[in-house]
Amino acid sequence: MSTRRTFVKWLVALGVLHGMVVCAGFLAPYNPVEQDRKSPYLPPTRLHLADANGHIHVRPFAYSVRLRVRSFDQYEEDTTEPHPVKFFLNGARYRLLGFLPCRMHFFGAEGTRIYLLGTDAYGRDQFSRFLFGGQVSLLAGLLGAGLTLLLGLCVGAVAGYYGGWRDSVLMRFAELFLALPWLYLLLALRAFLPLAVGPLEAFFLIIAVIGGVGWARPARLVRGVVLSARERDFVRAARGFGASNGYLLRRHILPETSSVLLTQAAILIPQYVLAEMTLSFLGLGVPEPAPSWGNLLSSLQQYSVLVSYWWMYLPALIMVPFFLGYLGLASSLQERAEAYKIETSSLGSLT
Amino acid sequence: MKIEASGSGQNMQPLLKVENLLKRYAKGSLTGAREELLALDGVSFTIFPGTTLAVVGESGSGKSTLASCLACLESPTTGNIWFEGKDIVKLGERARRQVRPQIQLIFQDPASSLNPRWSVLEILVEPLILQRKFKHEEMKQRANFLLVRVGLSPDIVEQLPTELSGGQRQRLAIARALSLEPKLLILDEALSALDCSVQAQIANLLMELQSSLGMTYLFITHDLAMAAYLADEIAVMNRGRIVEQGPAEKILKQPQHETTLRLLAAVPRITRAALPAVEQ
Repeated sequence: MSTRRTFVKWLVALGVLHGMVVCAGFLAPYNPVEQDRKSPYLPPTRLHLADANGHIHVRPFAYSVRLRVRSFDQYEEDTTEPHPVKFFLNGARYRLLGFLPCRMHFFGAEGTRIYLLGTDAYGRDQFSRFLFGGQVSLLAGLLGAGLTLLLGLCVGAVAGYYGGWRDSVLMRFAELFLALPWLYLLLALRAFLPLAVGPLEAFFLIIAVIGGVGWARPARLVRGVVLSARERDFVRAARGFGASNGYLLRRHILPETSSVLLTQAAILIPQYVLAEMTLSFLGLGVPEPAPSWGNLLSSLQQYSVLVSYWWMYLPALIMVPFFLGYLGLASSLQERAEAYKIETSSLGSLT
Repeated sequence: MKIEASGSGQNMQPLLKVENLLKRYAKGSLTGAREELLALDGVSFTIFPGTTLAVVGESGSGKSTLASCLACLESPTTGNIWFEGKDIVKLGERARRQVRPQIQLIFQDPASSLNPRWSVLEILVEPLILQRKFKHEEMKQRANFLLVRVGLSPDIVEQLPTELSGGQRQRLAIARALSLEPKLLILDEALSALDCSVQAQIANLLMELQSSLGMTYLFITHDLAMAAYLADEIAVMNRGRIVEQGPAEKILKQPQHETTLRLLAAVPRITRAALPAVEQ
């Protein structure tokens, strides 16, 4: 019961985080590719309650900022006029969930811009880029993991169920893939493909590459489950009723792999998000100006950025809960599978 | 080595005739040395319709391999199995799928022979769906009929097998096997995992089904007492061979082989002196 509760807890937490990314257009105040050349590397906007004259405001507000005299990257606040934070106000056009044309944003201010995570070299809002970048990175992780699991399921099922030479060939091939260091494999595969591609093509290319690399481990796990399930008495009994191989796989054997697949999904998705980030970080992923989490972090490759603009680290910090969420989900799934195993085996011995 | 079952006429056609069955398992090891395991070493016997043959032996004597071979789940290395005059060893996979429903196997552990994720109804209609025997509406009726037939309440159709007792599960497994109206029912240690009282109930159910439906049983067990209770004829197996075979009474009264003697010695007996005085 308690393992079920932790599982639901993690699932809800991840749901909320992903919901935020899905509703990026609404939560993000600005267009992620819109540049503000007058304010590059602007630190996060400060929100005040008390103004320069000591008056307390009910609504938090922000001041507009201007470049300090004789400086190229130091800003100061223009305290003459407070701009209160407003909620549900109209701003840049976007499409909610990809198709609903919409103008309403969750928050913003009139007369100035609020940059919760500061801006990058082109004055683009990091917070908006984080949310929109999450759409690219998380979707790439999800689809990549889905592709891997599909490949792993097919290969593992064939190897485990039919055995013999098919098993030997597939498993030697899987071992080959397991032995290869995946990052170099990714780089090699990516280098092999055309360098300059459009954002959408690059996106699907990345999914195909990272999804096609990792199938070996799930395939081996699925094979193990299929191998033991194949000899279970209820499978033999069904064979005795005249069941075909396809029926046995579909109705009895593959359902047995569901808990392994779920756990693998919870492990693989964050791993693949990281893989996408690695590729983008190295400039081989989704090309600029489209945001992705890897692109967001790639500016940290420059030493000057690393030491001067601390807010460039913030996106990395906010990514941590996503990965923790998947970690928690994976471990609770593992516990649940273990509990299920104990439950069924103890019931079996009680008869 | 053909022995007629007691009670059946000489001119009757045997339902199952096994000739010189041999099953060899090859165990290839890493060093390249091939070890061989002879699970069945020239087994022959005959079963006539409506009778029960008990195959008795210690664990590892090849009883379960025999069951798998007869149920077409494994192929013997050499030998013949004549089922209703047809040799089912030489059949291809497609033809075997036609034969399998006619020879049903009941397993030792009903907990593992029923898919733990499926409801009783799903389990019960699976063979019917696979054989396309009934229309969809008729299946539920048929399932209820089968449940009542084996002494279960039709109210349990929505339950999971994990919610049933061991005896109920084995009754369910028998009902499922009966749904295809098989000609031969192989009971592979089907009573061994059950409590003594439940064993007796299931044994009586099997006898009742035999007299009402004219079932033929191959009863595989290590329990000579239960074999004697159920079977017309007993074959004693040791190391893949049938070492002694004959009418049940004869085997029990005049055991010849040492394996039979050993199995007889293992049958628990309650002497009068051991019983508590209150019972007298």
